[in-house]
Amino acid sequence: MKFRYVLFAIAAIGLLFSVSISAQTYAVTNARIVTVSGDTIENGTVVVRGGLIESVGANVKAPADAEVIDGTGLTVYPGFIDADTNLGLQAPTPATSQQQRGGGASGPQQASSESNSNYPEGLRPEEEASNELKSGEPQFETSRNAGFTTVLTVGRTGIFNGESAMIDLAGDSVSAMIVKSPVAEHISFSTIRGQYPGSLLGTFSALRQMMLDAQRLQEIQKLYAANPRGIKRPESDKSLEALIPIINRQIPVVFNANSEREIVRALDLAKEFNLKAIIAGGQESWKQAGRLKAMDVPVLLSLNFPRRTAAASPDADPEPMETLRLRAETPKGPARLAQAGVKFAFESDSAKNIGDFFTNAGKAVENGLSRDAAIRAMTLGSAEILGVNAQTGSIEPGKIANLVVVKGDLFGKDRAVKQVFVDGKLFEVKEEPKSPANRPNGGGRAVPNVGGNYSITIDIPGQPLPGTLAFTQQGNLLTGTIQSSLGTAPIRDGKVTVEGFTFTATVEYGGSTVDINVKGTVTGNQITGTIDSPQGAVPFSGTKNP
Amino acid sequence: MKKITAYFVSLLLLAANLQFAAFGQANKELLIKNATVMTAVRGTLENTDILVRNGKIAKIGKNLSAGAGAEVIDATGKFVTPGIVDCHSHTMIDAINEGTLSVTSMTGTRDVLNPTDIAIYRALAGGVTSANILHGSANSIGGKNTVVKFKFGHPVEDFPIPDAPPGIKFAMGENPKGSNFSRPGVAPRYPRTRMGVIETQRDAFLRARDYKRAWDDYKAGKTKVPPRRDLELEPIVEILEGKRLVHAHSYRSDEMLNLLLLADEFGFKIATLQHGLEAYKIAPEIAKRGTGVSIFTDSWGYKLEAYDAIPYNAYLLWKAGVVVSINSDSDERMRRLNLDAAKVEKYGGVPEEEALKMITINPAKQLGIDKRTGSIEVGKDGDLLIWSAHPFSVYSRVERTIIEGETFFDRAKDIQKRADLAKEREELEKLDVNKPPAAGGTQPRVPSERRVEERDDAEFGDGGNQ
Repeated sequence: MKFRYVLFAIAAIGLLFSVSISAQTYAVTNARIVTVSGDTIENGTVVVRGGLIESVGANVKAPADAEVIDGTGLTVYPGFIDADTNLGLQAPTPATSQQQRGGGASGPQQASSESNSNYPEGLRPEEEASNELKSGEPQFETSRNAGFTTVLTVGRTGIFNGESAMIDLAGDSVSAMIVKSPVAEHISFSTIRGQYPGSLLGTFSALRQMMLDAQRLQEIQKLYAANPRGIKRPESDKSLEALIPIINRQIPVVFNANSEREIVRALDLAKEFNLKAIIAGGQESWKQAGRLKAMDVPVLLSLNFPRRTAAASPDADPEPMETLRLRAETPKGPARLAQAGVKFAFESDSAKNIGDFFTNAGKAVENGLSRDAAIRAMTLGSAEILGVNAQTGSIEPGKIANLVVVKGDLFGKDRAVKQVFVDGKLFEVKEEPKSPANRPNGGGRAVPNVGGNYSITIDIPGQPLPGTLAFTQQGNLLTGTIQSSLGTAPIRDGKVTVEGFTFTATVEYGGSTVDINVKGTVTGNQITGTIDSPQGAVPFSGTKNP
Repeated sequence: MKKITAYFVSLLLLAANLQFAAFGQANKELLIKNATVMTAVRGTLENTDILVRNGKIAKIGKNLSAGAGAEVIDATGKFVTPGIVDCHSHTMIDAINEGTLSVTSMTGTRDVLNPTDIAIYRALAGGVTSANILHGSANSIGGKNTVVKFKFGHPVEDFPIPDAPPGIKFAMGENPKGSNFSRPGVAPRYPRTRMGVIETQRDAFLRARDYKRAWDDYKAGKTKVPPRRDLELEPIVEILEGKRLVHAHSYRSDEMLNLLLLADEFGFKIATLQHGLEAYKIAPEIAKRGTGVSIFTDSWGYKLEAYDAIPYNAYLLWKAGVVVSINSDSDERMRRLNLDAAKVEKYGGVPEEEALKMITINPAKQLGIDKRTGSIEVGKDGDLLIWSAHPFSVYSRVERTIIEGETFFDRAKDIQKRADLAKEREELEKLDVNKPPAAGGTQPRVPSERRVEERDDAEFGDGGNQ
């Protein structure tokens, strides 16, 4: 008797689980199906069961137990892939605590730098995005509603940004989200605040020294494994150990590089250490198309095309030709890469407006890229570069049921995403947004309260400058002062919007007065942003004083 | 018949390929006719022709002729000099100082070259063809240098002179001890005194000695495990082995002497004392060691250690037999080094050719590239300038800057090109992406905000020119 209850209970629990985790069965019928891997099916059905694509074809019938979605007039694509994001990582990762590098002057520290590494934060390749990922579906809503099912995600701070993860944008647990991890090590040619390497010069020598040290560690590990007698035990160095699969080409390295010279530097470094390189950003990658092709280096190509953001001013000098040309040429880049045979995948970069991804992909098509190539660069092509093409990226039986159902022209203004399947889980896109939705820190929220005093560090390369910000906020208006060793200046034109705060100020610098434009955001007690001046833009970050 | 045609076609293709590989013009002949040629080493030759073939000076003489397809320039009434060599420059690099440590010999300017820096083109317009691209002077021992030719428009790998001996920056005095640039809230960095600077340098050489010994032991089979390759100490070992040239930023005679004695102690030679404002005080000691000095002609008083400078520095050093060069250390001054050379003729009466040497063959010697550039001699690289008048005249302009037979600046073409550029700009500005946003937008910079502080020793600190 008792036994029966137990069995019943087990069965009930099993039932519960099956309802909550394994998705239902769906059939999208009468739709145009862009499989990407094969021919487009003008009128067909795709069946989703148990999180996978069960069948697809013109003659496929919807199973009796399937929930049927009439796809008449709609197109089904493989779920779109955004090939470089920081989604799911509470920004920024791995350094919520960037300001604590090098004992910067800015206050209380957070936990994420608890590491036994011999290297400072920013030079720790062992940091994994998968350790920092936060579960929960709402954070992905903006991207998912735009049609993305799968993204590469990694932190954006430090020289080593850490190892990225490929995630599906559904799942109540991190383990359910991850498609592949680690995917790649990511490197930015940045610096570390207040300590070596504090300049681009040091960045390259520090990277080079760590690669050499990793090579040596591997050799000594081998010697030691063969016979430990008479050899000093090799150090268990997690940072260097993380580089061993990289120098052995088992894990690729994604270099964040937009300008031609950054790309050349990345390729030179990849050649020097025989790394399996990928370029991310790649605004000017078309200028190095020949070398990218010859070295078989793919590009995660930003669709956040540059455009002028500065207002007109009668006093300003004309913009440099270089800048004007860059903006004109960037949309032509994808077609040029395709023509040269360079593999590329589209990424949103940090585009404020995720809808720009498709609008700008459309611009790439207007500039000579074939539609098929454009679609491939956000589906199967991306999956191939990132090593998940066996699982996703096309509509084939047995692959993950990552699908997006679109009304209208994908690259046109009438584009509307109707349904998104992620791991077979159906997300109905409720409204047709008139203008494409904003990223999470944009849309629909109340103006944040940023008032208070902050201790900040202004990240002038090699010469970090401590300072304070005193903010008084009234509605959307911001007043107060910015103070540093250069002096104290009142804030002008201060504004607070849902996207953060902006203000200008005039500071004494090098014997003359300089206007600075400051923008930033406050998250919890953390403040980050950039200060733009005639000397260039520098980031700052800090914490709120209690 | 078909076969023959195919043969010729393939020959043509081959020729086109070769031309491409050699970047266009190098294969061509260039003949400069009837110029006043200031050779920098063998006097001034009137009404003389120069033939450049395959990038090298092939002939110098009268009534020379060139093959078909050669470019012939009538230089009647014009002056030709060797291309200017700037022995101290921070042009075309995206970072100058790794200021976090006092020994940054692991860094090198080669990693951060920017071949599109517009200052290169402006330097070409002032006649500079080669330059010593140095790390800044924030460090007792700074980064490795890159000796380049300003092949503007070429890919970055074409810039470094492949057979130039490697060098490294050292610095003495106020900059490495940081006294001019301390900042509230930033922890001071050792060393803070001149004592500390020389100690830091000595310590580095002692460490490098130990490092070399560890490798020698390993190579001799005395140890099992290879030592760690240390990118900081490797270049210092190369200095000890005489394979890497030391270019030492220094102002005061006592610190220069200190460094010369340190080099004596470790058995190597300082290649150049850079700036060397007080070098005239110890000219015999410098000459005795075969060390060169690379100076400003008349720039002083901008900081305490620059108070004892005199405009006769070049003259007194030259008299003592020191190889002297005049450098710019500045994107701006680089465009008029000819006038800085002219000044040493005025101050002390350095002869004209000796003055010219100070911006051509002398810096080439200091950088170890004098076998290929720095003078007009048969067999050397065709690095030549055509001037509208005597190069020491303020009215003179560079009309052409030629590197290895290829023209990199042509004043007449530059003027022609301006109309095209204006038209291109007009077209570009019409594009949506280049229009200001309909509403809002950031405030653009206005010229008055962009002015950066002019400093004669702008290579340290955070000035715009850092």
